[in-house]
Amino acid sequence: MRKLQYVFMALAALCFAMPAFADGGSTAISLVPIGAGIGMALAAGLCGLGQGKATASACEALARNPGARGGLMIFLVLGLALIESLTLFTLVIILIKVK
Amino acid sequence: MPETFILVRLLNSLLMDVEVRAFQLIGANPAEAAEKAVKVNQTLGWELVVGGGLILFFLLVRLTLSVEKPNSAQQIAELIHTQIGDLAEQIIGHGSERYQSWVICIFLFVLLNNLLGLIPGIPAPTTSPWVPLGLAVPTFLFYNFQGVREQGIIGYAKHFCGPIWWVAWLILPIEIVSHLARIMSLTIRLYANMFASDMVTLGFFSLIPVGVPAIFLGLHVFVSIIQAFVFMLLTMIYLSLAVAKEH
Repeated sequence: MRKLQYVFMALAALCFAMPAFADGGSTAISLVPIGAGIGMALAAGLCGLGQGKATASACEALARNPGARGGLMIFLVLGLALIESLTLFTLVIILIKVK
Repeated sequence: MPETFILVRLLNSLLMDVEVRAFQLIGANPAEAAEKAVKVNQTLGWELVVGGGLILFFLLVRLTLSVEKPNSAQQIAELIHTQIGDLAEQIIGHGSERYQSWVICIFLFVLLNNLLGLIPGIPAPTTSPWVPLGLAVPTFLFYNFQGVREQGIIGYAKHFCGPIWWVAWLILPIEIVSHLARIMSLTIRLYANMFASDMVTLGFFSLIPVGVPAIFLGLHVFVSIIQAFVFMLLTMIYLSLAVAKEH
């Protein structure tokens, strides 16, 4: 197990060493895809948290009061769409910026 | 590239001539005019097909309207009418019938445009950002117009100033920006959802070209219906906020 850990650490170090090799040549590494990935991951993850919270509350409310189904559904769908749209703004910005 | 869609070719051949002549009227030479002229693209062609189909459906329902023997088209129309009417009554409140036609048109148009993307070879018109923008701007104008009509210019302007008069200078710019942002959010929500849904299908198609992408077509149906519903719901909510009377 410990050996495997060393191997992985060495691999990780090598990963970070790659830009150093590239410095020798004239090619510059573009950070745009990395930024896009991190941005999208943050947006999607936090959107998942928010939507999970909203859905959990809606389920709880529905379990307590099944009669309120109609009104709840409207607000649930609306809330989910509004939360989701923030992620989609990120997606659109990425689409604009990444050629 | 020759257009594969016959309607687009027809429209282009009809309109190109007119457009080039219009450019020549304002003083461009023919070669320049032919280059500058805007071509009808596939998106607009499919939009026209959907719009024409809806008009035909409405005409069919109107012409075959009967109280004793409602046919299937009428029953579908009645179903849509009662469902959306109930929702509008619930959200906008009293007097929602006046806005119902707009809301139903928006819903059906968006829904059919979204679902068109399911047919292989046809890109859903809503995957182009201009189509949602073309729906969001009239919606914005419509609810503002209804707000002004319902409460007068001064009454409607009071909406923008908040409840307390001495912070109005602070609230006014924020309100205006947030109203304009509604256009952006309506546009981007629909566009990005449909685009992302197409992208997911394409991505899985490039990984495994058999069977699996079909699951994501199911997801596409779901997303289409939800997005059409959300667009309609937001239109209703904006309308209800614009025409609400303050007590």
